[in-house]
Parts: sequence; C-alpha cells; structure tokens
Amino acid sequence: MSERAIVRLRGVTKGYGAAATRVEVLRDLDLDVERGELLAVIGPSGVGKSTLLHLVGLLDRPEGGSLELDGGRVGELDGEARASLRNRLIGFVFQHHHLLDELDARDNVALPLRIGGWSARRARARADELLESVALTERASHFPDQLSGGEQQRVAVARALAASPRLLLADEPTGNLDHANAELLFALIRELHLMAGLTSIIVTHNEAMARRCDRIFRLAPQGERSGYVRTI
Amino acid sequence: MKAELHIARRYLIGIRRRTHVATVTLISLVGLALGVLALVVTLALLEGFQSGIRNELVARAAHVRISPAEGRRLERPDQLASVLQSALPNVELVRVVQGTGLVSSDADAVPASVVGRSDAVVAGVDQLLAAKIGVAIGDEVEVISPRHRLTPMGLLPVRTRLRVEQIQPAEPGSESGTIRLPLSSAQRLLWGEPAVEAIELRYPGDPWRLAGRARRALGDSAAGLRVEGLEELHRPLLVALALERVMIFVAVGLMLVVAALNLLSNVAMVAAEKRTDLAVLSGLGLPPSSLRRLFVLIGLGIGSSGAVLGAALGVAVAMALDATGALPLPRGVFLASSVPFRVDPRMVAVVVALALVLSAAVSWLPSRMVARREPAEGLRYE
Repeated sequence: MSERAIVRLRGVTKGYGAAATRVEVLRDLDLDVERGELLAVIGPSGVGKSTLLHLVGLLDRPEGGSLELDGGRVGELDGEARASLRNRLIGFVFQHHHLLDELDARDNVALPLRIGGWSARRARARADELLESVALTERASHFPDQLSGGEQQRVAVARALAASPRLLLADEPTGNLDHANAELLFALIRELHLMAGLTSIIVTHNEAMARRCDRIFRLAPQGERSGYVRTI
Repeated sequence: MKAELHIARRYLIGIRRRTHVATVTLISLVGLALGVLALVVTLALLEGFQSGIRNELVARAAHVRISPAEGRRLERPDQLASVLQSALPNVELVRVVQGTGLVSSDADAVPASVVGRSDAVVAGVDQLLAAKIGVAIGDEVEVISPRHRLTPMGLLPVRTRLRVEQIQPAEPGSESGTIRLPLSSAQRLLWGEPAVEAIELRYPGDPWRLAGRARRALGDSAAGLRVEGLEELHRPLLVALALERVMIFVAVGLMLVVAALNLLSNVAMVAAEKRTDLAVLSGLGLPPSSLRRLFVLIGLGIGSSGAVLGAALGVAVAMALDATGALPLPRGVFLASSVPFRVDPRMVAVVVALALVLSAAVSWLPSRMVARREPAEGLRYE
C-alpha cells in the first residue's frame, strides 16, 4: 500500500436493489491509485466500472469498506462537504458530454468555478483560457447543440479541468465518438493529464487506448470470478 | 448563491425552448397571475365599499364621545368643555343629551332616538324616521318623552310639538330613526333641567387618532369619564368590516393556493426533466443546499412573474372599472352610484408577497427530493 496513493479503496462493496432483485456489483474491492498515475479501468458492460468511478468521485456511497481521497477518509462526510470536495479535488468527464443545454460553451466551462465562488468575470476569463487549450476559442459562445460530438467532449474536458482538480475521472469519454475524434480526445486528455500533473482514472472499453495508460485495472463479472482481477 | 441564481435564470430563459415544460410553465404562470388578479380586484372592490362606509362614518358620526363612566350625566360639563377647547382648539365640540321618545305625525307614531345637540338650531329628522312616520320638511311632529310631570290632571308625559326643518341622512347602522333637536329643547324634554350626558368631538383632519389626543388633553380629569373614539363607538361595524375582508381574502386566496399547487407540478416536472443535469451540477460540486435554493429560485422566478403580471393587471382593471363607473348600482340603495374600487397598495403588496411565499413553499418540496438524491442516481437514470 503506497503512501503516494491519492485514492485508496479497502473492502468496498456496492450493490443495487433489495432482496430478490439485488445485484451486487462490487465486493471487497481494494484499489490504490498513485499521484500522477493515469489508470485505465476496463471490463465488460455491467461489471461495475462506472459504479467504481462514481464511488471514487463521491457521486455515490459504498455500502461497505472504506474510501480515502487525498489522505482523508470521506465515508462520514455529509452532502455539503462531499460537494465541496468534488468541486475542489475532482474533475469529471462523462460518456455523454452532459453539458448544460442552457449555457454556452464558455459558461459551461466556467460552471465549476461559479459553484466554487468565483466571480462571473474571472470565471469566464479562466474558461476562455481552457477553451483555448482545447482549441475551441472560436466556439466559446456556441451552445452545446451547436457543437459536434467531439467538440462537446472537448468542452466537457475543459470544464472538468476548470477548477484545477487533482483527480480527473473520465467515464468512457470516447464512447460516443468516431475513431478519429476518440483518438484526438484521448490524446488531449493525456496531454492535459501530464501538463496539469493530474491523477486520472479512465473507464474505457477500448483495449488499445487502455494499453497507452500507465496501468490497467481490469474488473471481471462477479459470476465468473469472485472479486476482481487487477492487471498491471 | 450567485451560481444558483445564474443557473436558475438560464433555466427559466431556456424553458421556452422545451415545448411541454414551456406549456406547463405558462399554465402555472397564468394560473398565478389570475389568482393574484382576482385577489387584487376583489380586495379593491371590498376596499371601495368599505372605505365608502368608513368615510360616511367619519363624515356624519362623532369622532370621540366623552361620557360619564358611571351614571348618565356629566358633572361639570362646562369645565370639561373648556379644558378640551383650550387643548384642542381646532376640534368641533358638541354637548349632547340622548334618550328615547315616541315620535308621532298625523300618519303614524314610532319610538325613535331623541338627540339634543348644542350645534342644532332647528329640529330635524333622519331619512329613516321621516319615511317611517311619513313626514317632510315643514310638517309638524310631536315628541313624547318617557319623563312625566305632575299636572292638575295627574301625571302626564312631557311632550312637545315641533316643525321639521331638516331631513338628514341616517347614520350608518341606525335602525330606529332619530329626531335631532336643539340642546335646550331636548334637555327640557328628557331631563327638565340643563343636563349634559356627553360631549362629542369631531376633527375631520385626523378622526381616528382624536380619542388619544382627547385622553392626553384631559389628563387626570379623564378619571371617571369614558372616552371613546371611532373604533370603540363603532366596534361591531368595524369588526364586521375587518372580518369580511379576512374571509374574502381567505376565500379568494384559495385560488392562489390552487395555482401554487399547479406550480408544484411544474417545478416537479423540471426536476424530473433535468434529473441528469442536476446530477452533473452536483458532480461539479453544487451542494445539496444550493440545489434546494436553485429550485426555490426557479419556483420564485415563475411565481414572481405571475404575481407581478397579475398584480399589474388587477390594479389596471380595478382602476379602470372605478374610473369609468362601468358597474352601475341602483340609486338610493347604495352610497355610491357605481361599484367603487379602491386599490390599497399595502394590500397589493400583501397579495404579491403571499404569491411569492406560496411559490417558494411549493418549490421547496421538489427541491428537497432533488437534494436528497445521490448524484449517481441521476446519472444512472440517463
């Protein structure tokens, strides 16, 4: 167990439903993610990849086990404290871009900063810098429905990095993109990961992409094997 | 707060692009506007009638009545009047005696209130009594007092014959009819000596606070006296007016409650439609308290639009109806010739505030549901 771990899961269990309809997705899961690491999480559909990301991203609570983020236990934190931690520590990129339709690209990128208490002017200036870094300066005033799929995801990446997080969580960020755009986006994430000194966890179905990460964490279905299998 | 306000504003502006939510929002907004409009117009109508009654009261009745706390006649009324006149120089002061007598004409005889006033120089009856006994100006009436005097023929009631010189409007709330006499005539009839039962004060400049001024002016002399202002003298009528206003407010206000419940379904619909967005906002760090505020702001945004629209329309409708006299009233039955409307800005403010409070309250429920969800639920819903 490394002292450099920014994410540490011990014996984490998570399921959905109750009684007869209950499905246990993760059981006794242990995982350390070191600072600066680019980790790929792969596995078949329904194996719990997104659930794992939601738990690490404080979007959901484990039923058992413990979770530490950046050296602190987060299991007992209330909703307000978890939200504050998400805002300061974590950036998300989802499979669907999940940009707010009512906001233009600039305001979407500025959103985490506005939530964090930045003034509108400062947040927009920072958003413009980030849009420049993903080569979307000229699209700053466009609404999500006026952007292509690749552009939407690049805006989503810029938004994820807006509040200068230490941990980037990406849930199949290239899942809805064609090959060329997927490659472009993955390259962008890698570049930003390195430039910003991030720790990144990327859930993907794409084995080739996963092999270009520092480490692969492979989840297997509960029925086939007990627990999970980790491959480095 | 700034982030929630920003997002709520963008959501409200963006609603028009989402047809079904826009339709429901429009219905909520119109419902609230109609509720506020109905309440404003109804209260303006009520205020129109009630202010007419209050104005009549102020115009015709005594504003303050000073009478003995015990017994029927004032002790040292001249000294009392002198104190009041020096302390309240612009106030009308009238000495009064009052009793009941049998007032008869050639046609009929009815019991009526007999009032002697120091400001009356001729005899007059009110319209109510004139109608009851069928007299007009110039006719003679006989007033028989309940007081008796000993005559060679035994005990006989004190009586007097008078010519009716005036016919006055009846006082609001009067039922028996009144004959008004010069003070000396009434004193002879009711007392047989120059007694004064009460001193009445009138000051149209500030009638509702005159009682307080009179009490202060009397100081220690007020001991043993009953000093009653308009509110005490006409308490049943004024309480009835206030009660009527409260009941009408509650009854018509229920419309507003129904409209607010419609807003609840509207906000709940936005919450369902935006479930994923809300999960993303939460994921970006918007805390549960801010999510709750976001929904209250959305509800308030719709509610305030409806309230302001309804209030503006309500005020415009009430003022237009009042100015044009579009709703005439039968002559002789009401004090006004057409239905009066009087917009009281304080009542409009209360109605708008009520609409806003209801909007915020009904938005609170979906906001609590949204804030309780873990963000991952919204993302899985996708």
